[in-house]
Amino acid sequence: MDKGKLNYDGLFNLEQPLLKVPAEQLKKAARISQRYVEYVMKEITTEVNKLSKSANSCSPEQATKSLDDMVVRLQKLKRKLDDTKAEEALYVERTKVRLNHLKELMTITSAESPAYLQWCQTRLDRMLVDYMLRHGYTETAAKLAADKGIEALVDLQLFADSRLVEEALDNKNCTECLKWCNDNRSTLDKISSTLEFNLRLQEYIELARCGKKEEAIKYCRKYMIDWQDTHMKLIQQAMAMLAFGPDTQCEPYKELWDESRWDIIIEMFKSDNHALHNLTLQPLLTMTLQAGLAALKTPSCYSDENRTINCPVCAADTFGQLAQDLPCAHHVNSCIVDRLSGVIMDEHNPPMVLPNGYVYSSESLQALAAENHGMVRCERTGENYNIATARKAFIL
Amino acid sequence: MDALESISNDFAKVSAKQASSAAELASTLEKLIALMTTAREEIARQPSSLASSLALLKQATTSSAKHLTSQQEDFRRAALKHEKTLRAAFKTDLDNIWDPRAFDGHEHTLDRAIGAHFVREGQFAIAKTFAREGELDPEEGLPGQFADLYTILEALRRGDLSGAIAWATHHKEELDRRASGLEFALHRLQFVQLLSGGEREAALHYAKSSFGPFSLSHLKEIQRLMCSCLYASRLHTSPYADLLHPSAQLDVQRLFTREFCQLLGLPPSSPLFTSALVGTLALPTIVKMSSIMKDRSGLEWSQAGELPVEIPLANEQRYHSVFACPVSKEQSTDENPPMLMACGHVLCKFCIDRLSKGNSNLRFKCPYCPTESTASQSKRIYI
Repeated sequence: MDKGKLNYDGLFNLEQPLLKVPAEQLKKAARISQRYVEYVMKEITTEVNKLSKSANSCSPEQATKSLDDMVVRLQKLKRKLDDTKAEEALYVERTKVRLNHLKELMTITSAESPAYLQWCQTRLDRMLVDYMLRHGYTETAAKLAADKGIEALVDLQLFADSRLVEEALDNKNCTECLKWCNDNRSTLDKISSTLEFNLRLQEYIELARCGKKEEAIKYCRKYMIDWQDTHMKLIQQAMAMLAFGPDTQCEPYKELWDESRWDIIIEMFKSDNHALHNLTLQPLLTMTLQAGLAALKTPSCYSDENRTINCPVCAADTFGQLAQDLPCAHHVNSCIVDRLSGVIMDEHNPPMVLPNGYVYSSESLQALAAENHGMVRCERTGENYNIATARKAFIL
Repeated sequence: MDALESISNDFAKVSAKQASSAAELASTLEKLIALMTTAREEIARQPSSLASSLALLKQATTSSAKHLTSQQEDFRRAALKHEKTLRAAFKTDLDNIWDPRAFDGHEHTLDRAIGAHFVREGQFAIAKTFAREGELDPEEGLPGQFADLYTILEALRRGDLSGAIAWATHHKEELDRRASGLEFALHRLQFVQLLSGGEREAALHYAKSSFGPFSLSHLKEIQRLMCSCLYASRLHTSPYADLLHPSAQLDVQRLFTREFCQLLGLPPSSPLFTSALVGTLALPTIVKMSSIMKDRSGLEWSQAGELPVEIPLANEQRYHSVFACPVSKEQSTDENPPMLMACGHVLCKFCIDRLSKGNSNLRFKCPYCPTESTASQSKRIYI
């Protein structure tokens, strides 16, 4: 691969969520409008038909009243449609902005151009907002998005909505989440989600925890029996746990009684929510950083004498820690960086070996020698040598 | 990129359909409401018209209902198609390219690094909010010094150079030691600003008072700047138009940031940005590789000592020397360091041992030149 050349297909491929999220939202909004129009118009048509059929038998008063009633309903439909169509338009607009953002990348020719750096800055900002949103740093996310003017490139609303559900679950309340399951049933079925069953199970457990055993059994009959084909074993365990009581040490009932089941449910909701909206499981930021740090990491980053301030991985207290469990970069060709000037040596500025075995670039040594009557000082060991004693090395 | 182009062209249709369906739905509904209201008035006014009015209304309602649903259905289909196209365009699964546990246990470290990035970029308000939400130490990352940097940069952007020049004069000694061109670059910008602002006298005066110390190092440029005075009235159409280029201003800002950070012993750009920049370049390669490797060994490679592929780095992102032996292609380690042979070629220690068959006095030929030497003559080098 040429240096500086951009891998457009590869970069485009990373931006799946950027386009897929609003596409999914648009699809859903269109369906909601559609259902609503169909539902109301069917009712109105039926009623007008009925009215017209009974034209001979009904009084004008009845007819006008019925028509008034229908006008009100049509006006309500119109108002509601104004809202849903505005929502659709919002997602369309957002998609356009995102497409333009990607198109902008396609016009950039080199990875070294300022335009590319600018684009990457925006990319980093939206990855940061995404990271903040996923970790619940909502205020920072909103502020950053507003500051950088990238609201259309991030999904603030989506996360705000899911935040409500998560908070409700955190307060041990399943209502919001069950509503969410209901709204998204078809997609959840498609990814064979077990979230809804687990919510029902949890509500059952909570009833049992309060000592309302009879109500719990009723609840189970009403909501959990539908799942018997796939979850028979858990339903049986749920029944049996009543016999053991909350303080049991006996597995698997201990686990069912455990309050930490709520956290598992929150995680389950998050991952289903991400899958539903085609968001990646991990934030793009961590994936990008892992790739970047591994590509930068060399064994030298962890040895005190080889640290440099410019290398992110050398920062022992931050990125060095993050990169600890990552693999090092793989290089098949040597690349010798001069310790004095930071430039990469090549045939015009070849590496020179001092008698103590330390390597510096020819230019740097000459500059040192010019200042110091032909003597050079090894920066790492402090020894002094005449520049004439330095030997040229051929590093292929 | 063709895929993006075609998605974008197709989406233009979705967008048009959305707008037209919204308009159609609104106007059709309005008409129907108007018709219904008229029919109602008609019936109220003349009860005998009941049957005929209702018959007309029935017809209108049926056709409106049909029109409304088909308009919305058309749009819904377009949206559905767009979503399908996207699904087809993105084939790679992004979820399984890296071990999700790679950062486990370091969540707080990442948050700290992000907080430091905000400070680094001068986004102090955001850094503060984040420190509160992420429960970080708000003092981390030396906001005080960076505040200076960003006040000066802000002024620079407005065209006010006084702060920057004062800073450069104050740190003249350190800057000179590193042969930095910052101070002169600032004076030059100030001069050009005066000149292009129509203040030729002031510009000349400024040149006299400021350019003196640079006459040795920047004589050529000073001469050019003085000549540009001849064109003061129409600088932008003169041979000196490049002086006015907006990138000159940006270059100075960049130079200033770099020098400021270097004096503080900090890298010139945020480490988070650098890492993300390299990561963006590396990810496509890693995605591709991981899709090939996954079938064989899962995600094991992500815990191995070394990436299985090379990620090409730009020169400015190469911070450390790397020695890869030209014979074995292996990277050097402490046990297997680079060795300089008598002829000046460098191989890794293992290769030298192999060539000398473990006998330090056996003469062997260098793989790259005709010279013969022994293992005892070769010596370890430190790159």
